[in-house]
Amino acid sequence: MNEIWALALKDLKLLVRDKAGLFFTFFFPVLYAIFFGTIFGGMGGGGGGSGETAIVVVDQDGTDASREFAAALDADSRLAVTPMPDRAGAEEAVKKGQKTAFIVIPEGFGSVSLFRGEPMKLIVGVDPSRQAEGGLIQGLITAKAYERLQSSFMNADSAREMTRDALDEIAQTDDLNPLQKGILNTFLGSLDTFLEQAPDAGVIGGGDGGGDDGGDGGDSAGGGAAAFNPIEIESVELLADESGEGPSPYAITFPQGIIWGIMGCASGFGISLVTERNKGTLTRLRTAPLGRSRVLLGKGLACFMTTIGVAAMLLVIATVGFGVRPGSVPLLAVAVFSVAVAFVGIMMLLSTVGKTEAAAGGIGWAVMLVFAMLGGGMLPLAFMPAWMAPVSHISPVKWSILAMEGAIWRGFAPADMALPCGILLAVGLIGFALGARLFDWNEH
Amino acid sequence: MITLDTLTKRFGSLTAVDALSLAIEPGEVFGLLGPNGAGKSTTIAMTVGLLRPDSGTVSVGGGDPADAQVRALLGVAPQALAIYDELSARENIQFFGSLYGLSGKDRARRADELLELVGLTDRAADRVKGFSGGMKRRVNLACALVHDPKAVLLDEPTAGVDPQSRHAIFEIVRTLRDQGRTIVYTTHYMEEAQKLCARVGIIDKGRLLAMDTVDALIAQHGGQSVVRIERGETQERVQTAEPLAVLQKALAAGDATGVHVERPDLETVFLNLTGRSLRD
Ligand SMILES: Nc1ncnc2c1ncn2[C@@H]1O[C@H](COP(=O)(O)OP(=O)(O)O)[C@@H](O)[C@H]1O
Ligand SMILES: [Mg+2]
Repeated sequence: MNEIWALALKDLKLLVRDKAGLFFTFFFPVLYAIFFGTIFGGMGGGGGGSGETAIVVVDQDGTDASREFAAALDADSRLAVTPMPDRAGAEEAVKKGQKTAFIVIPEGFGSVSLFRGEPMKLIVGVDPSRQAEGGLIQGLITAKAYERLQSSFMNADSAREMTRDALDEIAQTDDLNPLQKGILNTFLGSLDTFLEQAPDAGVIGGGDGGGDDGGDGGDSAGGGAAAFNPIEIESVELLADESGEGPSPYAITFPQGIIWGIMGCASGFGISLVTERNKGTLTRLRTAPLGRSRVLLGKGLACFMTTIGVAAMLLVIATVGFGVRPGSVPLLAVAVFSVAVAFVGIMMLLSTVGKTEAAAGGIGWAVMLVFAMLGGGMLPLAFMPAWMAPVSHISPVKWSILAMEGAIWRGFAPADMALPCGILLAVGLIGFALGARLFDWNEH
Repeated sequence: MITLDTLTKRFGSLTAVDALSLAIEPGEVFGLLGPNGAGKSTTIAMTVGLLRPDSGTVSVGGGDPADAQVRALLGVAPQALAIYDELSARENIQFFGSLYGLSGKDRARRADELLELVGLTDRAADRVKGFSGGMKRRVNLACALVHDPKAVLLDEPTAGVDPQSRHAIFEIVRTLRDQGRTIVYTTHYMEEAQKLCARVGIIDKGRLLAMDTVDALIAQHGGQSVVRIERGETQERVQTAEPLAVLQKALAAGDATGVHVERPDLETVFLNLTGRSLRD
């Protein structure tokens, strides 16, 4: 163990004396986190995304109207809809980062009276790290609601039903003065007669007219409200902290910054193994009474400690300087530990891919960038198309960010941490064992 | 101390070391002389357990160098400088010391001794990066000695070194010899082997061509001396096994204006053994 420690200390000393290495390991990640955190903050959650957004729809109403609405969402090419039976599961999927947002269609959705100006109610929760898509979803829902409003009046049967409902309500309500009641009764009564006599009892030709009429009816029924909004979206603040707000942009960009630092670390130490082999210092290490595994463990320990150091430094900066409040410090420690183990394994694998330092460095960074792009370690997150979501599972970066976000602001319970942390630990152990086996010890 | 028995190592179709057998006695300075690519470094690598021979055996103090304890009897200064540029001379020595389980105090004391030995005490705290080739070679050598090994293997310890450093390295080798260590010294400079080594093995294309004391090698394979006698503008070359007799005769004749004796050396030995010069 003393020898492994000595090897690791030597590597840390070398890192501290390597200016470029220090920059990419420590300073660049901080700059990254602050820079993008500030930009995000300024954008108030960012602009629109592109590609499909994965959402969950929970239909608690179970009426034809709610089913039609869900189908309309599903039909939109910008959304990839997964139905789920209950709201808890849907919230969970968003919390865990599996889906971008959930939409609950609550009971009573299908029976609201549009004529009375009652809006359709929906409950929407968006992953706070994906506010860009949140805006898109809200816009889409509103558009669908208007479409539904319009089509209600284009379909004679449903329009007639609504007209009758309206007439019943007018009869019962006390909100209207007698004059208003009279006008409405006359108008709606003739509309009912018209609809009854409509040929084929199907879709009324000239949808525009029907829609306009309906709109008028709604306005009047609402007591002359100038702008009727047919939909009311109740936003659920997911993962809110004590302040009642979602995570700050820095809570999102600092974990990403940590990933950049750790990737710098892993590729740096991976390259240094190749350098040591090709320069010959590895030869001398091997003549010492160490054994190969301890030489590699020394390198792994150096990588592990640097990784922890990078994460700790960024987290301290985020907490002290940028008001990030980790939800659970112990879970965050578990997350960082798992991430560090994973990247030690990745470091070991990367050291086997190139014969020369240049090759190892080039291939190493190419692999890292792909991981980062797939795993959401790279901006702009919102531009990731939906087909990439399943692909992203292969990226350790995805699991690293999920584990850290889980502890910082996703409010993960220990059980929620098991999956990402388990995957990270497995990546680390398998990567290290495989890399150690594949490592070519001979100089070239 | 070190016994190599019909060692063979192939790299693909190339036989780098070909059935090589050697026995190196405790306390002797043994030279392994051969041109570049002869198989010297490959032989050293197998001796210290870095490379597994395709056939044949290595024994160090009666043990197998694959065993870490046995390996600790050996100190190696590899041909490729195996030191960290970003560490100071002292840090390099101390770091390698820590791999042999030396305590902090022992490491510091050993580093002082070795820096003194290689003449770098006043540069101890400077990073190796800024050192000359000769100074780096000396740090490389010091790192091989940190665990006080019984036998020291120096692979081309004067490669890329200025004449002054080369002289300093010779002195270090002599000091190590006087301390009673066994030394294996590889080189492609015959004058180094001639100056430093009690016995020399001549190696070419992986094969050991001859092995003996320098004098015996010259006597056996060097052929005759050449005596040049100058008489005014003319010059006579005489090849002879008895240069002294030829000289006496020339001087007795009284017309010689100058004499010159070319005794055979290891270069001649190599030429006679291979038909090629060492420097080819
Ligand atoms: N790892 C290796 N792979 C392939 N060929 C090698 C390797 N190491 C040495 N050789 C070849 O083996 C021969 C002997 O090399 P080496 O022992 O380094 O010679 P020397 O040290 O005497 O100059 C050379 O032809 C060299 O190219
Ligand atoms: Mg060599």
